[in-house]
Amino acid sequence: MKYLIAFAQAHNEFRLPELDSVSELYGFEYTLCQSLDTSDPQRPYMVINLESEKHARHLARRCILVKAIYEFYGQGGTYRELHEANRANRALWERFIPDTSFKFIVSAYNHTIPQARQTEIIESFSYMDFQGKIDMKNPDNIIGCFEEYTDRHGTTRNKHEGDGHFRQVYLGRLLEEGSARQLIGHFDVKKRVYYGNTSMESEISLLMTNQTMAAPGKLIYDPFIGTGSMAYPAAHFGALVFGSDIDGRQMRGKCRPPGVIRAAKQYGVSQRIIDLCTFDVTHNPWRCGSLFDAIVTDPPYGVRAGAKRLGRKRELSPARYAAYLEHQKAPRPNDQPYIPPTKPYELSTLVADLVLLARYLLKPSGRLVFFLPTVVDEYQEIDIHSMLCDGMEVIANSLQDFGSWGRRLVTIKKTASLSYLPPAFMLGEAAINDHVPAHRDFREKYFQGFKKDITASIPNEERKDN
Amino acid sequence: MVRLITHNLLACHVKGCTSNNFPLQFQDVSIEIREAEFNPDFLRGFIPKIEWKALVDTARQLGDTSLPLEPPEMLDDEFLKNLHHVLLEVHVEEGAMICPNCNHRYPISNGIPNMLLAEHEIA
Repeated sequence: MKYLIAFAQAHNEFRLPELDSVSELYGFEYTLCQSLDTSDPQRPYMVINLESEKHARHLARRCILVKAIYEFYGQGGTYRELHEANRANRALWERFIPDTSFKFIVSAYNHTIPQARQTEIIESFSYMDFQGKIDMKNPDNIIGCFEEYTDRHGTTRNKHEGDGHFRQVYLGRLLEEGSARQLIGHFDVKKRVYYGNTSMESEISLLMTNQTMAAPGKLIYDPFIGTGSMAYPAAHFGALVFGSDIDGRQMRGKCRPPGVIRAAKQYGVSQRIIDLCTFDVTHNPWRCGSLFDAIVTDPPYGVRAGAKRLGRKRELSPARYAAYLEHQKAPRPNDQPYIPPTKPYELSTLVADLVLLARYLLKPSGRLVFFLPTVVDEYQEIDIHSMLCDGMEVIANSLQDFGSWGRRLVTIKKTASLSYLPPAFMLGEAAINDHVPAHRDFREKYFQGFKKDITASIPNEERKDN
Repeated sequence: MVRLITHNLLACHVKGCTSNNFPLQFQDVSIEIREAEFNPDFLRGFIPKIEWKALVDTARQLGDTSLPLEPPEMLDDEFLKNLHHVLLEVHVEEGAMICPNCNHRYPISNGIPNMLLAEHEIA
């Protein structure tokens, strides 16, 4: 069975990874129609093969980037080709001829079709001979006809110029509108009762959640939970979420109960936030590994919030260290809890550690999903592969481009079924010499405006201090 | 918060504290019971991860004696419901967790345990 997907016009690179994840979650497969000119995920319409209608509905209900799914009737470079294909598929729509109410919608991508020609197009389908009544409000069937034009953005042109010179035209019967897109508004950060200055926008956090294949009974962990943006959509889809952060203030907020719990209550999922813990992932208290179905996180890039780990930037002198130990023995007043010192945690080290930690904490086939900021011009495929380790494989890697920098949504799967030892959190520093990824010292590069000559020297000097 | 499922997964991680560092002992706790969704499949899948003795002992300390000393071979509904209650519905809101080996005190405030270590405990 062929289905036509109309995509939302956002995050083109994320479309296929999302289809992959959602189909894997529901246990079915889809294939692209390679013979047709539509397997390019950058384009707004895509024709796929599915075994059953049920699968198409799963996609419409779970994929954030699917606007609607149609039963595919035909396509063509011209209307002649389209009609020919549609006639050949008569078996698909024959049963609607006698008395099914219907309406036709005609629209275009990158173009507005003049009203007169819209009517003309609808009339041209008269050979389908639908006898049912035309119902504009509640039809049983909606037949959609879509013209796809190439992007003419930035050129001056007359209204309706180039009308009819489309790249491809598609026809199908609406099966289901994509209902997952509404969740973007539901999880809107502006309407959330608790958020911070680095809370992830809802659309991206939903996309990330789909990459984790969150579902009831799954256990998901966010090691840099912050204000919880990743936790809410995951919990919404039924998963149990565990969160930790080195800075408890982000999770707590100013009043009781903790901010993350208040926001989770707003979404009706507070019981699925298993627990929040304050600790440093590089000194973590996990008793054992192979616990989680997925680890999803938006690690601190160091631009608005810097990553920290326990330790000191400069070690104490022996005399001061002795004084510190003495001081530790003294009782501490209740209102002044001990705050341990922290030092910066460089991004490429953090990411390499995160992959090792995920390999330890994930169940076999579990997924690590995270965002990696990177300098667009300097990025190389090897940046991602140099941070992998045995038993972990990249299964999706898509770019959200902001111009000079961008961030990559990386999905890594634990392909090994072995258990691994907990990471030592030192290897990252040893591996630095082999390859310098574009995301190394991202913070410095960001504030230098990504100028090449300066970025080469300055971070090195800063590194000596650490 | 600090449900017993979490308590069963956390061990003392002070440097050098590698034996007898689990389970952490609750101290001066205040407890709340909150209902959670019952998912038998999740529980069945999670049982192999549980340190059973630690869970039963801790539950008994907190006044819940519904769990048997050994995990039963047959996972009937009544057992799973009791396990569900102990793992997911008992929340320790205030108090502390103490390491039985090195006596490190991990305070719990507002349901969030502070598992950060001091400088001399990591190096």
